[in-house]
Amino acid sequence: MFEFLFNYPRDDYARSELIYAGDWPLWLLVLLSTAAIAGISWFLYQRRSVVRPPQMMTVWVLQIAMLALVIWILQQPTLSTEQLRAGENAVAFVLDISESMAYGESESRLQQAMRSLSTSLAEDSSLELAVQHYELSDRARPVDSFLDTEPSGTETSIAASLTDVLREARFNPLAAIVLSSDGADTRGGLSPADLAELAGFGVPIHTIAVGRESIPEDIELTDVLLPNKVLPGSTITARVSIRHDDAANTRIKVYNGDALLESLPVELRQDTRSTTAWVNIELAEAGHHHLRFSLDGIPGEQELRNNSRSTLVEVADQEYRILYFEGEPRWEYKFMRRALAGDEDLKIVSLLRVSPNKYYRQGIDSPEQLENGFPATRDELFSYDALIIGSVEAASLSGEQQKIIHDFVSERGGSLLMIAGPNGLGNGGWGQSQIADVLPVRLPPSTTNSFFRKKAAVVLTPQGADDQMLRLADTTDANRQSWNELPEVADYQVTGGLKPAAVTLLNVMTDVGLLPLLVKQPFGRGHSYILATGGTWRWQMSMPVENQSHETFWRQLLRALVASAPNSVSLTASGDAGSTEISLRSEFRDDAFRPVNDIAVTAVVTHQDGDSWEVELAPSVDEPGVFQANITPTASGTWYFEAVAERNGEPIDVARASIHYESGQAEYFNFRRDSRALQRLSEATGGRYLELDELDALPDLLRYSSSGITETDYRPIWDAPAVFLLLLLLKGGEWMLRRRWSTI
Amino acid sequence: MPKGFYSILIALTALTLIGATVVWGQSGESEPPRAVREAPGEFQFVRLAYTANRYGQGNWRRQMWQTDWPDAEHHFLKGISRLTRVAAAEQGRILTPLDQSIYDFPWIYAVEVGYWHLNTQEAARLRDYLLRGGFLMVDDFHGAWEWSSFVASMQRVFPDRPIVDIPEDDEAFHVIYDLDHRIQIPSRMYTYTGQTWEKGGKTPHWRGIYDDEGRLMVSINFNMDIGDAWEHADWPDYPENMTALAYRFGINYLIYAMTH
Repeated sequence: MFEFLFNYPRDDYARSELIYAGDWPLWLLVLLSTAAIAGISWFLYQRRSVVRPPQMMTVWVLQIAMLALVIWILQQPTLSTEQLRAGENAVAFVLDISESMAYGESESRLQQAMRSLSTSLAEDSSLELAVQHYELSDRARPVDSFLDTEPSGTETSIAASLTDVLREARFNPLAAIVLSSDGADTRGGLSPADLAELAGFGVPIHTIAVGRESIPEDIELTDVLLPNKVLPGSTITARVSIRHDDAANTRIKVYNGDALLESLPVELRQDTRSTTAWVNIELAEAGHHHLRFSLDGIPGEQELRNNSRSTLVEVADQEYRILYFEGEPRWEYKFMRRALAGDEDLKIVSLLRVSPNKYYRQGIDSPEQLENGFPATRDELFSYDALIIGSVEAASLSGEQQKIIHDFVSERGGSLLMIAGPNGLGNGGWGQSQIADVLPVRLPPSTTNSFFRKKAAVVLTPQGADDQMLRLADTTDANRQSWNELPEVADYQVTGGLKPAAVTLLNVMTDVGLLPLLVKQPFGRGHSYILATGGTWRWQMSMPVENQSHETFWRQLLRALVASAPNSVSLTASGDAGSTEISLRSEFRDDAFRPVNDIAVTAVVTHQDGDSWEVELAPSVDEPGVFQANITPTASGTWYFEAVAERNGEPIDVARASIHYESGQAEYFNFRRDSRALQRLSEATGGRYLELDELDALPDLLRYSSSGITETDYRPIWDAPAVFLLLLLLKGGEWMLRRRWSTI
Repeated sequence: MPKGFYSILIALTALTLIGATVVWGQSGESEPPRAVREAPGEFQFVRLAYTANRYGQGNWRRQMWQTDWPDAEHHFLKGISRLTRVAAAEQGRILTPLDQSIYDFPWIYAVEVGYWHLNTQEAARLRDYLLRGGFLMVDDFHGAWEWSSFVASMQRVFPDRPIVDIPEDDEAFHVIYDLDHRIQIPSRMYTYTGQTWEKGGKTPHWRGIYDDEGRLMVSINFNMDIGDAWEHADWPDYPENMTALAYRFGINYLIYAMTH
């Protein structure tokens, strides 16, 4: 109907510009209009005795509208449309050939994509477009045709590949890019910066989506989160995330090498697309452990390679040292030490002020250790991995000692835990000390008592439920129940407001409501914690001796404190699943944890099969003491790295790391169709997103592309039937009104 | 006689007798309440109100476990506050072994334990209390008979743990004060008789029971009377050095219990 009335389709009007082809001078038009309006007005005024004012106004409006329409017609309104000039433009067909495109049932995604590209221009060859073919995976590669194409790409990088195409076609009249893909990108997807860069080329990218967004017959092990370094005898809780599009039952199995460690049934509910399960693993022996997590396949599942992930965990046989500075004898001190008595990896060195003039030291290695009280030098304090400060006033330490504590967290990367007490936290004036900004809370002033010897119940927060440090039981529900069943603590202390980076892991229920009890935050290279009670000892005394909740709490809390503290020398190896490179990052600091730069660092890279070579690590421009390099592994498996620092040719220090690397795995994960990414790509570049049943629109999209060599097509619209009908309507309507009013 | 005269007379007589009994009973030291009102403090002195054997029933005025109460803990708590950083409650407290709140006080004191007779239930409770981390100081019992009576109940608590002499180098003797030179701490009778021992207990023994980690759970002060030394700390006649030693022992045991 639209095209009948207006001569051309709606889309033509949308993509065209309205111009006026008439050459009447403006002054003449104005003169004629003014004269006509004046004449009509005078004529109607002369007949004012016959026509009432409302009727006169109505006729006046109709006649002026008619006049306007005539003047509009005289201006010859025309549609100006840019369209490709036939035979002088090219279009790039880009076909995603990554391995995810091999997925499908009766027809693979790749076959769907190939068919879509081959048929898209079949019915309209008027444009005479030169078609360039590209295969897309990690980069784009030009090919003569798609006849021999196989889904062989081990990675997908849409942004990098399209950029390759656009750069190659920079000096050619490229009208558009037509990309046929499932949108599954293994390099992190299309960032706003990527989209902006692609849009800057000015070439529209039309996307044809293949594949399904929902694959009920597939489940995927999306992520396994667990610490990569633990202490011997630790119970590690791995957080396993599973993606699913329907309800199902599966089982998580954890292998250490060939040995099955754990097998846990998991129910995947229909009301959610992601399920998280917690798996407890015990690794007793020191060394590197290759852990493989796998899911049992569900009925009908084709792709099983995304049901398995591997990771490497280092069980570090290292003794961690914690300094505990306490201002008064109290039960929390006793029971904390008892809780850690059997832990061979944690050494608690404590300095307890038992009387105004006497300190009692425990856990010391020699009579000289701490004989002068709290450490007064960086070297002395930095030799510890964590620091606990109890019920002691800030004024008991000098300004320099407080500064050292500040640096202990920010520079050394140590962990600081402050425990409540009648002379601790706010009561001790720590909120006005030099370490106030280290703390995760804004402590109240010391002029107001904030410590209360009242029993109070502890409440686990959602963040605390997710934190492995606070796991008292194997399952989420059992863990929550364990916390609910704990006896009240003996006291609590008001901490004040939380800082932006603070996370509350435990609350305490007081007579004024819930207050933070265990809070932590990162600070500099380290972490700070507040435990707003000195009364967890009631858990030990109020529960049967067999109950290990109190011991477990303190062991896990203190292990978390020391595990996050870096050594003065460190080496990390990182690489995403499917990535072709492994990044090495080493950091060398002296005993005072100051960066060391006057060294040369070389890493020995060794595969589990024995292949080995050396690579030099370059100093970082931005971070003193940091040396980095990227290496390309030649095979899957476990890779070991040893970074040796040398000064004047003499080795001074060594750091070690390892990683389990698996090449070509990325395409098996996250291979559901990402329609949203393709839509964003098209919108950003002026293209259009198409489903397989919308390919009819592609020829016109190409024809009227804004890129390439174009020509302007002019089409008049003054002779459209709609214009004639409007003229008829205006004049006919006036005539009918006049007859009705008996003025004719 | 007016009607009802004898009834009134009998009633008045009974009231008089009852009132006299009450007044007489309140002369000198008053009856201790079973549970002292809770006072704030990290440490509160808890006196164990145990079940006594037939020889330790005491009388209607005082039980054996009340010996030296309340001055002993009153003086001792002041010493703690003056000599240490322990936040001690000003008042003591009395609890039975079966009182559930005993777990809120990880340090307890029992006196005249030569007369205690713990039943099975009390023994089990005490065992559980000590294994969870509690500490027991026993004091003021003398001679072979009282020792055997004490051991009989203690073996119901720990049938499988020996009572041993506390070694010289044990931290209990050195945690604050070095108690290398120890003397027998007598009761106040010493001021009358000049004799530091009683009931045949001529040699003082500092003994203990340890847990599996080698930590002292029970300090057994046999053939001495530390409680009396605390109680009579303000007696000019009671020797100062014995009082000082008694304070040192008590403080050492307390600090030891709060650090081990």
